[in-house]
Amino acid sequence: MNNPPSFQYPTGPRPGETAWLWLVKIVTGPLLVLILALHLTVNHYLGSAHSGLMTYDDIVAYFRNPLIPAIEILFVITVVTHSLVGLRGIVLDLNPPRSVLRLINWGFGLFGLLTIGYGIWLALVIASKST
Amino acid sequence: MPEQWTLTLRLYRQKANEAPRYDTFTLQVNPDEYVLDAVERVWAFHDRSLCFRHACHHSTCGACGMRVNGVEKLTCITPLRAVTQNGAVLTIEPLRNFPIVSDLVVDMGDLYRKMERVNARAVLPVTEAEIEHPASTWNPEDAQYLRLSDCLECGLCISACPVAATTAAYLGPAPLAAIQDQGMRRHPELLPLADSEDGVWRCHSAFECTAVCPSFVDPARRIMDLRRQVVGAKLRQVFGK
Amino acid sequence: MNNQPSSRKLLTWFNPLGRNPGAWAFILNRLTGLGLTFYLFLHLIVLGRLAQGPQAYEEFLELTKSPLVKLGELLVIGAVIYHALNGLRVVLTSFGLGIRQQTQMFYLSVLLALVGTLVFAIRMFAG
Ligand code: SF4
Ligand code: FES
Repeated sequence: MNNPPSFQYPTGPRPGETAWLWLVKIVTGPLLVLILALHLTVNHYLGSAHSGLMTYDDIVAYFRNPLIPAIEILFVITVVTHSLVGLRGIVLDLNPPRSVLRLINWGFGLFGLLTIGYGIWLALVIASKST
Repeated sequence: MPEQWTLTLRLYRQKANEAPRYDTFTLQVNPDEYVLDAVERVWAFHDRSLCFRHACHHSTCGACGMRVNGVEKLTCITPLRAVTQNGAVLTIEPLRNFPIVSDLVVDMGDLYRKMERVNARAVLPVTEAEIEHPASTWNPEDAQYLRLSDCLECGLCISACPVAATTAAYLGPAPLAAIQDQGMRRHPELLPLADSEDGVWRCHSAFECTAVCPSFVDPARRIMDLRRQVVGAKLRQVFGK
Repeated sequence: MNNQPSSRKLLTWFNPLGRNPGAWAFILNRLTGLGLTFYLFLHLIVLGRLAQGPQAYEEFLELTKSPLVKLGELLVIGAVIYHALNGLRVVLTSFGLGIRQQTQMFYLSVLLALVGTLVFAIRMFAG
């Protein structure tokens, strides 16, 4: 039977994912392990949190230390980047048409920036409540 | 009198525009025969319409790849004893991730085109082969001696790869291993192919290719090494050698 | 002749049958990655209550006392530990380190994730 080739080679290399993007994933990964350890210790281990979650007052008290919102902001940037680059990697396994990929690039980029913006705003709002 | 086993072969059958089905054949075999021998016997004595592929019968041509009880095997060197037991049912199916031509025969054109695209070497100087032979024992003039490259282009690795199941564009283990074999430093023209969404970054380290490769390619390790080479080449590009 | 690669076959990614430990690691990594991404955005939305003041947040805290939520949290903890450790395994092997030990590293990741989850479970339900 005449099965058409499912993919025609030669084709041009497609730079949908490159060493740089992969490096972002591989660098944010171990970085996240470190920051997450801090995040978990601070938010779910110390003070009233040792049996679960912190009370509102405790959180606000913790955020008085400027190091805490700094850690949280760093955390939200790396974790959102890592998750969206990872998600995009999964989508790439489905060999999306170029137009869809372009949409995903913009969509994920915008969504990521908005989420990071929201995270930073949240950290700053909580920090401001403590002053 | 050699040992005799009774074996039921359950073969995947599919002809043009027909729905797939499984046919079973019960035969007497010697457990030290190979899976391919049993398939051939079905064709010779039971059903001449059975299609399957082979040539060399000694793990050189790479034509006889099939899935034996779900696992990719080079059937001409897989002893029956290694995959089944007396009285059992042995299921044989075509490789995954290639279009089926007829029964157990798949169209591996995709793989061959990709191997051509990356200029895979069919032979290489013995001095460059990754064999267990201390490099220091070679003399420079030994480079004139060639040996066949390890990859048989049998396609088992493509069939086993979970990523290859969803995108035919992914170069896949064997072609990426062929790029690694040539090296980024000596063949910078291959860098864009390796550093591509269909190249070395599509691999998600399932190590299935290495598990099924019947030769000494170890494609997973080569893909990992190619990653290192690609990152190195990109850094050299940015920082100027 | 449905044997060629197709993006509709994405469920085969998650089929562990007839696969090797390396593929199980990949499957778990993908599942935990998807799960954690979902959780991350849930977490961020829920924490929005902090901005609305103590009242809203304490209400939410009440909710977290239900066993179902606690179970969910345990899942997240297990997923985080596994994804982190297996991620390190992928980083190491990607740079050529420990390729021959990749199976053992996978089993170790699963083991430590289970132990970690158990420790947290004991603290959570006993503490
Ligand atoms: S790398 Fe191994 S499994 Fe893949 S085509 Fe070559 S010999 Fe076959
Ligand atoms: S028949 Fe040639 S490799 Fe098996």
